[in-house]
Amino acid sequence: MTNGIPFSDALGNYTPQRFREPSNDPTKTRDLLEQFHPDYMPDSMTTLKVGPNQGDVCHKQLADVLQSDARIEEADLAGANTVETDILVVGGGGAGCAAALTAARKGAKVILATKLRLGDSNTVMAEGGIQSSVEKGDTPQMHYDDTVKGGHHYVDKPLAAQMVMDGPDVIRWLIQQGMQFDVDKYGDLLTRRAGGTSAPRVVYYRDYTGLEMMRVLREALTNAGIEVWDYNPTVELLSNDQGHCAGAVVSSLKNCSYTLVKAKAVILATGGIGRMHLNGFPTSNHFGATGDGLVMAYRMGAKLRDLDSFQYHPSGLAYPQHLAGTLITEGVRSAGAYLLNGHGDRFVDELGPRDHVAAAILRECEEGRGVQANETTSGVWLDTPGVELRNPGILKSRFPKLLQLGRKCGTDPAQEPLLIYPTLHYQNGGVVIDGNGCSTVRGLYCIGEVCGGIHGKNRLMGNSLLDIISFGRRAGEHAATEVLGRPHSNVSTEHLSELRRQLTLADMPMENQGPMLFPDYAKFETDSDYDGLHKAK
Amino acid sequence: MSETSEQLVNLTINSKPINAPGSLSVIQALWHAGYPRVKSVGCLEGVCGSCRVMVRRADSHELKMELGCQLLVEEGMEVIFLVFPNPTHHTYQLEDIKNSWEVQDQFHQIFPEADHCRHCGGCDKSCPKGIEIERGVDLASKGRFGEAGELFVECVMCNFCMTACPELIAPNHVGLFSRRVTAYFHIRPSNLINRLEMLRKGDLQITQ
Repeated sequence: MTNGIPFSDALGNYTPQRFREPSNDPTKTRDLLEQFHPDYMPDSMTTLKVGPNQGDVCHKQLADVLQSDARIEEADLAGANTVETDILVVGGGGAGCAAALTAARKGAKVILATKLRLGDSNTVMAEGGIQSSVEKGDTPQMHYDDTVKGGHHYVDKPLAAQMVMDGPDVIRWLIQQGMQFDVDKYGDLLTRRAGGTSAPRVVYYRDYTGLEMMRVLREALTNAGIEVWDYNPTVELLSNDQGHCAGAVVSSLKNCSYTLVKAKAVILATGGIGRMHLNGFPTSNHFGATGDGLVMAYRMGAKLRDLDSFQYHPSGLAYPQHLAGTLITEGVRSAGAYLLNGHGDRFVDELGPRDHVAAAILRECEEGRGVQANETTSGVWLDTPGVELRNPGILKSRFPKLLQLGRKCGTDPAQEPLLIYPTLHYQNGGVVIDGNGCSTVRGLYCIGEVCGGIHGKNRLMGNSLLDIISFGRRAGEHAATEVLGRPHSNVSTEHLSELRRQLTLADMPMENQGPMLFPDYAKFETDSDYDGLHKAK
Repeated sequence: MSETSEQLVNLTINSKPINAPGSLSVIQALWHAGYPRVKSVGCLEGVCGSCRVMVRRADSHELKMELGCQLLVEEGMEVIFLVFPNPTHHTYQLEDIKNSWEVQDQFHQIFPEADHCRHCGGCDKSCPKGIEIERGVDLASKGRFGEAGELFVECVMCNFCMTACPELIAPNHVGLFSRRVTAYFHIRPSNLINRLEMLRKGDLQITQ
């Protein structure tokens, strides 16, 4: 795409204005998505050939890892240490922390293993806030209806209903862990409106909601004496004689060795797939978001859903290159920022559902109305100076992270608009769970982005921070109760033999190994001692 | 902002000579040059505090602390990745502080070193976010936790200040403690409490 309006021309034509005519584009969401949304790109999907979702449609890149060979052989485990715990939590984001804290406070022995450091997750990067119906004109029913509608009615309704009812208590719990929220002069929670919703419902802390949540949960967790294994990616689950989940194989990046963790319950909280860069898109996701949990759960026989549905956040930074994909919160549009094409025109309802807005941006760029920064980069304006003009001081008081980002770009968002382009943001589908986070495999819980169903085929802003705490606490509590008095079982990697048999029968290539663990540009596979700075061959 | 220039710049990262386009961050430059880097990589958005680097620019002798994902490569720059330090020895549970009258006393028991600040400025100088850390520690030891916490809004817990502090104050944890007690004891939103009360009474139900 090099047909847009040159950057300097577009910027030269731009002046902040108090008001611009709204778009009267009548295009229906369905038509817009089918024409421009990446989920509908021809040839991007395939059908799964093996596993519990055999026959289901799945994104090709995801299918490649779901149907990959395991990283380990039986022989790798011969000399491995064995450690026992009641509960193993895999993943150190918000969901994992909430589950670990809750389970440990119930008296269970918990180990939390995480690929990088505790808190290295998408949670820490969340900006906009958490949905919870606390305002007078709002109800859990409205929250539920918005969630179902936003998810294009593909939502697992009991899960969504339970989550919205949990909303207010999730906020109370977070405050009790020491998390701050922005409040008005009377001390009431402030709310902002999320795209595609019927009431202001997102409670927040500046545009640092996730950072505030994560640093508080991390501090609470380390002070609670929970054993944390950092730089310890889990590479496989372990099964017992009945095919239930009975632990996991954890590999240490510190000394390159495997540990067998026998656990009476495993809680997967591994997050999403942004760093797979589906369809070549940039991502707003954390470095570790490579879908590891999906792959491990699938091999154990857990049913997945909606593997063809991903969220592209409308406002990823398009330029400069070293920051491409960086998220700019929907809260900026919620505060009234327009989206403008290269002609300075609004072209979509800025607070429509995320998939609709993202598709509209892609349309502008494809049809030559985008702003062309260089040969490979185009985007549209996020009119931040207009917001500042209408509400002087708002960027400083409500969006400090945006201003930090501006400084790194060498531009002042109060003076100059930012160039944005959709960025791969969220995996809508995932592991099928019940209200306690139990997957279809006994002993295996899944919580957070690794799960599917709660958000259907399109998630609303602020519903993810809610889902991780709501289901994290429930899974932690349920698992802690379940494991009481239960003995450890014999563990094996028998399910991997079955995987290999199925792959061979289906005539699948066995060259690829999964889970991915790291994006290929990190050159992890050639990083012999994992410590970096050994040049790749 | 201007159109991207793909001019290559020369710099060293952990004393390895690197040649990379000027539009890349330090981490991207390493990957570009074929060096793997997995440790010290996190959110790549400047909020996780993982990619701690020390940097000296060509025109200066001064050492600066930065986050590698946010730092653009420059001609003649020297960059060293720092390992993440061990966790702080300070430990506390909010539930152990019985009420808000006891916070200050508890604070001095949990963080006894906070009073020993030498005002060396090491923490302020090391902060990649420009936080007034020394002032924050001072406010906290005077019991002004609300004000102290406000200074640490942008803290990403990169622990540079912890490494820099000769008195082992762990200033970032002082900041986080200040913020947490403020929420724990003082955030009581009436709109939230009302909603919890309605839910408790069963006044709000969902029709699926």
